[in-house]
Amino acid sequence: MSDQLLRVSGLCAGTEDKPILHDVSLSVGAGQTHVLMGPNGAGKSTLGHVIMGDPAYQVTSGTIEFDGADVTDDSADKRSLAGIFLSYQAPVEVPGVPLYSYLRTITQKRPELKMTARKFRDRVGQIADQLDMGSSFLTRELNVGFSGGEKKKIEMLQLLLLRPKLAILDETDSGLDVDALSVVSRGIEAYRQACDGALLVITHNTRILERLSVDRTHVMVQGKLVAEGPASLIDDIDAHGFEQFEHAKGGDAQ
Amino acid sequence: MATATTATPELKLERVNTPPAQTWNYLRANDITLTVPSESRKGDVYFALPRLFEGIECGMGPDVTAWIESQAADAQYVEVRAGERRIEPIIATMDTGVMVRTGAEATIVVCADAQATSRTSAALVRVIAEKGARVRVLEFVATGDDQQHLESVGITADEGARVEVRQYFLGAHTTAAGLSCALNGADARFDLTCRYLGTDDQRLDINHVVRMRGRNGRSDLRESGVLDGRARKTLRATIDLVHGSSGSEGAELENVLVLSDDVVNKTMPVILCDEDDVAGNHGATIGSVGPEQIQYLADRGLSQEEAEALYVRALFDEALICAPTAAVRAAVLARAQTVLGTEVAGDLVDALQLDTEDRA
Ligand SMILES: Nc1ncnc2c1ncn2[C@@H]1O[C@H](COP(=O)(O)OP(=O)(O)OP(=O)(O)O)[C@@H](O)[C@H]1O
Ligand SMILES: [Mg+2]
Repeated sequence: MSDQLLRVSGLCAGTEDKPILHDVSLSVGAGQTHVLMGPNGAGKSTLGHVIMGDPAYQVTSGTIEFDGADVTDDSADKRSLAGIFLSYQAPVEVPGVPLYSYLRTITQKRPELKMTARKFRDRVGQIADQLDMGSSFLTRELNVGFSGGEKKKIEMLQLLLLRPKLAILDETDSGLDVDALSVVSRGIEAYRQACDGALLVITHNTRILERLSVDRTHVMVQGKLVAEGPASLIDDIDAHGFEQFEHAKGGDAQ
Repeated sequence: MATATTATPELKLERVNTPPAQTWNYLRANDITLTVPSESRKGDVYFALPRLFEGIECGMGPDVTAWIESQAADAQYVEVRAGERRIEPIIATMDTGVMVRTGAEATIVVCADAQATSRTSAALVRVIAEKGARVRVLEFVATGDDQQHLESVGITADEGARVEVRQYFLGAHTTAAGLSCALNGADARFDLTCRYLGTDDQRLDINHVVRMRGRNGRSDLRESGVLDGRARKTLRATIDLVHGSSGSEGAELENVLVLSDDVVNKTMPVILCDEDDVAGNHGATIGSVGPEQIQYLADRGLSQEEAEALYVRALFDEALICAPTAAVRAAVLARAQTVLGTEVAGDLVDALQLDTEDRA
């Protein structure tokens, strides 16, 4: 299926002493919106980081293809430039680096986004307004001293700035107040409109999905994808929890 | 005075910039010896600071104080009246004393820029922060590649005074900087941020001393920097919890990003404690830019080298953001251009439309 943007096949991965993901296969087509759900500790974030290329995890078998190329052995920075973006569940604090310097550097690396400093500043300003972020944040240190919600907005800011082909949003909605949640939802919509980007949304909360039209839902339990289905699967989970899948572990629910 | 003047007499400042407690002698990290020009000022009428300033302990020690006093033109004395909120920063000269009276607020700027005339530059700054005063000291060392700079600062803080110091050591051939802050009154507070860059054969010798004397004092020292090439850095950081400082807390943390195997990086964190009811802690993290940070940056498209370059650029950007006057920004920018190249150096200035109008 070459029309798939992301194709994960038979992926097994984990840390040096602990296997976490078992035979995971999942495909996301260009411009599609997929949802990944599952109980705490199932391995959702791990999957996000493995797709992104975090060397903390080793891939023991299986492949990751992105945009027609096998990226299984590519470094994270290469994957990022190829168009994969992972919004962190817990964004990392980077002391000593002003947000401006950081944003400018990651943007200038992409030929299609190169622009003058002034234009860049304006662009960031627009996105910040869109995300209801105020104006002083640019000269502050990256993610340092920002509240949980603010950090998530900084992740969204980067998403809108970089316009990747695929965005993996790892609980971008968790810890957000009602207003921030709707701001972020609008941000996701804006991203979809701006570049028809594909989404893999990891969440425990169906609120964030209300504004999105979901193409496919995946359920992960104990490192295995145990079910895949249409958007309606989300309501099913909302009503009945994950227990139904825990019994069916390893089997195909759909 | 031409650079190659042979007639200038010299003086050896032996073993200066020393910490209060000289342990671990085997590390040979206790002091630095510097050769400095010493011109006699015979006959000149000289304005000295009020007596009150004599008792202030300065970071580089009495020999450096005496030398700078002997070389400086008139000392500059500034008094900020009680309750005054002084917005205009006080620009330190070679020998400056600032009296910040009760409840007053002031910002003091010390900036060393590239000089064509002299290989050695120096600044001595003494500050008295009276009860409830708020003082910010911003230090920028943006001298040229072949320069040697000495900077010695001494501060005393009375009850409830708050002192914030930010130091940007952006790479001279030799930077020797000492700072001592005494929290004499109760509830006084000292916050220090020191950021440094050392490349090539540069030498950085830093001495930070906090004397916590009053009760319930707080001090927080954060040093961080990037070292590359054959740079040699020594940092001595001492928190002295003096008898009577009950309820006080002092913390120090250094983060160093070491980019080359030839770097010599020495850190001597010391907590002296003569009081039971206090807390002091030190944490030195070598290579602070841990795997998490590098991974986060990689996930957004930066290779290891690019991430490291970002840290260097960030140092200058931060200094520019913090610089309070156009003259200081110009000095930082000039240094940034040498280190980073014109395009990257000027980027933040363009984006934020910072004024860097050069002095004529
Ligand atoms: N770097 C690591 N080192 C050791 N164990 C890890 C590491 N990363 C993940 N794990 C373990 O792998 C399992 C899956 O973790 P992961 O964070 O992927 O879960 P999750 O599905 O994202 O959970 P949550 O919904 O709570 O975010 C957990 O048991 C976790 O402790
Ligand atoms: Mg998770």
